[in-house]
Amino acid sequence: MNKFLKTLIPFDIAKGLAITGTHFAKVFLTANRRKVPLHVVSEYPEVPAKLQPRFRGRLTMLKDDAGEIKCVCCMACVKICPTQVISIEAGKKEGRKTKVPTRYDFEMERCIFCELCVESCGFDSIILNHQFELAVYNREDMSLSMDGQFQNMFGISPVAKFSVADEEK
Amino acid sequence: MFKNEEMEINLGPQHPSTHGVLRVKLRLDGETIKHCRPMIGYLHRGIEKICENKTYFQGQVWTDRLDYCSAVANNLGWAEANEKLFGITVPRRAQYIRTLLNEFNRLASHLIWLATHALDIGAMTVFLYTFREREDILDINEAFCGSRLTTTAFRIGGLREDLPPGFEQLVRKFLAKFPACLEEYENLLSENRIWKKRTVGVAKLNAEDAIALGVTGPVLRAAGVPYDIRKAFPYAAYAEMDFEVPTRTEADTYARYLVRLEEMRQSSRIIQQCMDGLPEGPVMAKIPKILRAEVNEVYHATEAPKGEIGYYLVGEKGSTNPYRFHIRAPGFINLQSLPKMVEGSLLADIVAAIGTLDIVLGEIDR
Repeated sequence: MNKFLKTLIPFDIAKGLAITGTHFAKVFLTANRRKVPLHVVSEYPEVPAKLQPRFRGRLTMLKDDAGEIKCVCCMACVKICPTQVISIEAGKKEGRKTKVPTRYDFEMERCIFCELCVESCGFDSIILNHQFELAVYNREDMSLSMDGQFQNMFGISPVAKFSVADEEK
Repeated sequence: MFKNEEMEINLGPQHPSTHGVLRVKLRLDGETIKHCRPMIGYLHRGIEKICENKTYFQGQVWTDRLDYCSAVANNLGWAEANEKLFGITVPRRAQYIRTLLNEFNRLASHLIWLATHALDIGAMTVFLYTFREREDILDINEAFCGSRLTTTAFRIGGLREDLPPGFEQLVRKFLAKFPACLEEYENLLSENRIWKKRTVGVAKLNAEDAIALGVTGPVLRAAGVPYDIRKAFPYAAYAEMDFEVPTRTEADTYARYLVRLEEMRQSSRIIQQCMDGLPEGPVMAKIPKILRAEVNEVYHATEAPKGEIGYYLVGEKGSTNPYRFHIRAPGFINLQSLPKMVEGSLLADIVAAIGTLDIVLGEIDR
């Protein structure tokens, strides 16, 4: 008898509908009134994406205060890279004791953003910055070097306008 | 007039309910499955062979890509297998943080399992709710190691960095709201008549068969065998944690659902204990810059969300990369129980059976 009543009256389905109904009412009624909205979806292109400080984005070379490249071509990042995306050609520059890279190529197509290169660097000369909008129209634009017209190892990615806005704040 | 003919069909490899590129070859008599063979290998990348050509430090990034829903658990297995091979002791604080992240990963993996399993069977709402909580866990991943899915979270010998500032608030916030969320899933599913019709008594696998096939994880525990490597052979900081291993005896899809939900509860208990009892100290052991192995072999098994994940490593004298590397993937071995589960049942049940095994093709094909 009890089982028959249970089958006849859909308590179980009502229980589920109550949950979805409550959520709908909560979000719908407070949509524009709460300071911290209840809904979890963010309006990404209009609102910059929130990134954690340790976010791993595109590889970037750093310069010191005098504008010199920090890299001394120790090749640690070349050796540790699991997908061999970095290749360096070392050269010399007048007035500098350490070596200086004449060529620093980075194949972003194959990069897996594991940050092992940054970890291996003993001179803090490379970082993974906070850029994640890395789409390009041509495949060649994915290979970065120190003096690229479209994008290079120092500047920001040309399409990364949203994440850069986030960084500048 | 009535021809009694058996029909052969392929479920997959591009079927939305096969969780990736799994093809299941079926021979049907009407709607009854007479013969079932899973065909795998569509996602084979040769990760074992690749790792033999990489150094011990580099190998970890490939373990992220085995079971991409539980990358942290794979990282932990790899790091601990290497520590066993080189005889490195990890600081206690690092062990605790590893345990904490591993349990978060178990939650994330079980949440994505619940989402897709319910979606396969026809309950769409749960999908949206579980992904809401999974988002928070991925944020915690991002806060700790900078990446959400392919984490590369640990290093051989410990951790790369200590916990970031503000990490504890993130964890506490999550722990405060998670029990209520679990209750929501239970209210949505546990007593729902459609859910019960699709799961109770479906895809049974009794304990003898499960042990004979080498099945591990929640599928084995739902058959009444309380085998959990966290309890049986404690690793990381599990020996110091207080938790239970949930088991059921029904051995069907519904029992596995209940076991996994209870596991989520236990996981949040472990996270709570890790966060409360987090010891101070360093997070990285002193290890040489280049690891060179002796002639030695290790097998290290850990309890991944899907079951036992084992790493078998053979070291070569003086070499910086392993001589042989083999992965005992839980999904690969659990999948072999699929014919046993579905042969003789209806075609619609195979969708529930694939969902309940919680397979990820990244680790099956490797």
